[in-house]
Amino acid sequence: MANKIMAWIDERFPLTNIVKHEITDYPTPRNLSYWWNFGFLAGFVLVIQLISGIFLAMHYKADTSLAFDSVEHIMREVNYGWLIRYMHSTGASAFFAVIFIHMARTLYYGSYRAPRELMWWTGQILLIMLMATAFFGYLLPWGQMSYWGAQVITSLFGTVPFLGDEIVVWLRGDFAVGDATLTRFFALHYLFPFLIFGMVAIHLVALHMVKSSNPSGIDLQAKDNIPLHPYFTAKDFYGLGVFLIVFSLILFFRPNLFIEPDNYIPANPMQTPAHIVPEWYFLPFYAILRAIPDLVGGVIAMALSILLFAVMPYLDRSKIPGGARYRPFYRIMFIVFAIDVVILGYVGAKPPTGFLITLGQICTFFYFALFMLLPFVSKREEKWLRAKGLPAEVEALIASDERQREIQRKEALRK
Amino acid sequence: MKQLLSLFIIYLFLASSSSFAASDNGHPLADIKLDRSQAALQRGANAVINSCMLCHQLKYIKYRNLLDIGFDQATVDAMRKDNPMSSLLPTGLDKKLVEDMFGIVPPDLALMAKARKGGPAYIYTLLTSYHEQADGRIENLLFPGIAMPDPTAHSVTEDAAAKKEIEAKILDIASFLEWTADPHAQERKTMGIYVIIYLVILTIMLYIVKKRVWARLD
Amino acid sequence: MSQDKDKAQPQDPERREFLTTATGVVAGAGIVATSWPFIASMNPSSEVLSKATTEVSLTGLQPGAVKTVEWQGKPVFILHRTDEQATDMDKTEGGKDPQKDTSRVKDPNWLVVVGLCTHLGCVPQRKDQGWFCPCHGSVYDNSGRILKGPAPRNLDLPPYEFIGENKILIGKAKA
Repeated sequence: MANKIMAWIDERFPLTNIVKHEITDYPTPRNLSYWWNFGFLAGFVLVIQLISGIFLAMHYKADTSLAFDSVEHIMREVNYGWLIRYMHSTGASAFFAVIFIHMARTLYYGSYRAPRELMWWTGQILLIMLMATAFFGYLLPWGQMSYWGAQVITSLFGTVPFLGDEIVVWLRGDFAVGDATLTRFFALHYLFPFLIFGMVAIHLVALHMVKSSNPSGIDLQAKDNIPLHPYFTAKDFYGLGVFLIVFSLILFFRPNLFIEPDNYIPANPMQTPAHIVPEWYFLPFYAILRAIPDLVGGVIAMALSILLFAVMPYLDRSKIPGGARYRPFYRIMFIVFAIDVVILGYVGAKPPTGFLITLGQICTFFYFALFMLLPFVSKREEKWLRAKGLPAEVEALIASDERQREIQRKEALRK
Repeated sequence: MKQLLSLFIIYLFLASSSSFAASDNGHPLADIKLDRSQAALQRGANAVINSCMLCHQLKYIKYRNLLDIGFDQATVDAMRKDNPMSSLLPTGLDKKLVEDMFGIVPPDLALMAKARKGGPAYIYTLLTSYHEQADGRIENLLFPGIAMPDPTAHSVTEDAAAKKEIEAKILDIASFLEWTADPHAQERKTMGIYVIIYLVILTIMLYIVKKRVWARLD
Repeated sequence: MSQDKDKAQPQDPERREFLTTATGVVAGAGIVATSWPFIASMNPSSEVLSKATTEVSLTGLQPGAVKTVEWQGKPVFILHRTDEQATDMDKTEGGKDPQKDTSRVKDPNWLVVVGLCTHLGCVPQRKDQGWFCPCHGSVYDNSGRILKGPAPRNLDLPPYEFIGENKILIGKAKA
């Protein structure tokens, strides 16, 4: 019976072929570590957010006079509403945590390099879409932090030359964040996840074109590839189990860990909280914004701090495979960068006073300096490493990688 | 990469640590142990209804919610008289009058335990931090300049036993307000334990499956 | 090392098969259990459920007067019947859906009926000694029994109870 149904479908839609090609026979590098789990996890969190979000939308009311109370209605009166709401708020943090690790892995192992530039760029677009979605969603509970966060971020668009003020009013649909802002943010918050879903599809098509990168950083021979299923499905699901344990610990025992107490006070346009703090995942960028004394400069710096990642494939000029693995200088830069981002996050969470202002500025300087230094460091590092003599296995990897590409190029020409 | 993960965890800790520890003005919060038994919640409920709600409101808490902390129907019926079960607990709050008297409208208490850093500990500390100053004024050390006068007379009570009694009452109030802020907390934690047990079992099974599948490669 | 593996190999497939199935079953049970809160969230909330019953005070309702109250989003007529109206009703059995008045009231002085015409659900109007439905002209008596018109049955009776003095609770309190 099942075979008949499959045959019927396969005459009309290449289902068996797709499953075979993209899952059961899809070649995956055998040496992928657990750091390669996070893409799958990000997809899973997206599904959590979509489902919990749709069910929340059944009870939420996007109206400034009702929004705050409707969230409390969900938390108190709706059956398991507290569970779905905490799942969604914890899921937002989990999404960023997973994405940041996913990005860090890409940076560490140099997975952004050719031929995976499009993977990296679609990933960048996904990050920006995710940030926008989180920002829209954060307004919806209509608490103090929601309100003032939206007020501050929309104000940033006032720095656009000539049209700044008009753009701010246009974004808000009001002179200050108000009912019009809330309803449009709700509409966009519902729309964006589906756009993200589409972009993820593109990200995956690109992935299946260029195949996964791997810790050694070179394209492996066929004998080193194994089918995605059952090997990596088994590995990914095990990783998912571990993730769900961590996720549930926060969801059930510390659900307010990432929610600012001020957001349990209804929005009050007449009174700003003592210090407003963005969600943890925006803190480093927020610190960069504040580090520049000039508002326009701050906005440009903040935008660059996110957009600069896109040019990584060109900033990194080293041919040594494996990212930071075989490259001591790159590794140092990576670690310095990671520490720098953590300090920036800390600075972003604290009120800007005396020493913290200076610290924020130093860290902002390092943040950009590392990007700027990369082209020179990576080239010199490659020369130095090759002069010093790479371990034989790495030389062999480069040689085989180059030979591999040579073969591919010839094949392409022949076609 | 391992160092990176630990960095990341430190980062999360730093980012979230602001929700614990000291209050904004550096005044340390009392280290309290809440009594979450129904008896304590009911004592707290009575204290809040009879004292706090003369001026404050308790949005979201309805008569029928009192059944959830073990009040029986007869007690609730006596409290509500002719009001429906679904009406909010009544407040003596006359916004205009109170605003004229104190300069501000007293904040709603239903979410207080979530809306302040430290939650119940903040509430307890606030109510026990009134102290008489050298000039005879009574000042709150946690919230200098607070408009609310010491509601429990904790600061002017000399007798040690009476003071202990007031502190016990304040603790009950803190417990009750923690419940009003998050009435499903107990249900959530209980469910959480089952979920974690299930996930640990499932993850162990998934680990063994993964091990066995990968063993085919050797 | 590889020898150990080889030894383990022969019995492996079956055990692996069983374990994979078991894991799948456990995971599937988890997915089913997880879907429950989402399904349940679409059921009436505790706020809606609390409105499943309506408490009505009868004080001040004069004999002969009708009060319309809302119960589960529907109108309910409460008629304080005079002794005369009550005895009148006790004598007849209505029209096409004969029923004794005693089986329609808990107290002969109080009639409690759902105020929706059993024909197509319009709200009948109070007229003379009974109700008249403006939509298609069904006529009901003071016991809510159909006398003439297209309506097939007598007005429905909601579940209710007298609680305390002069107070009724319409609807069943949740168990």
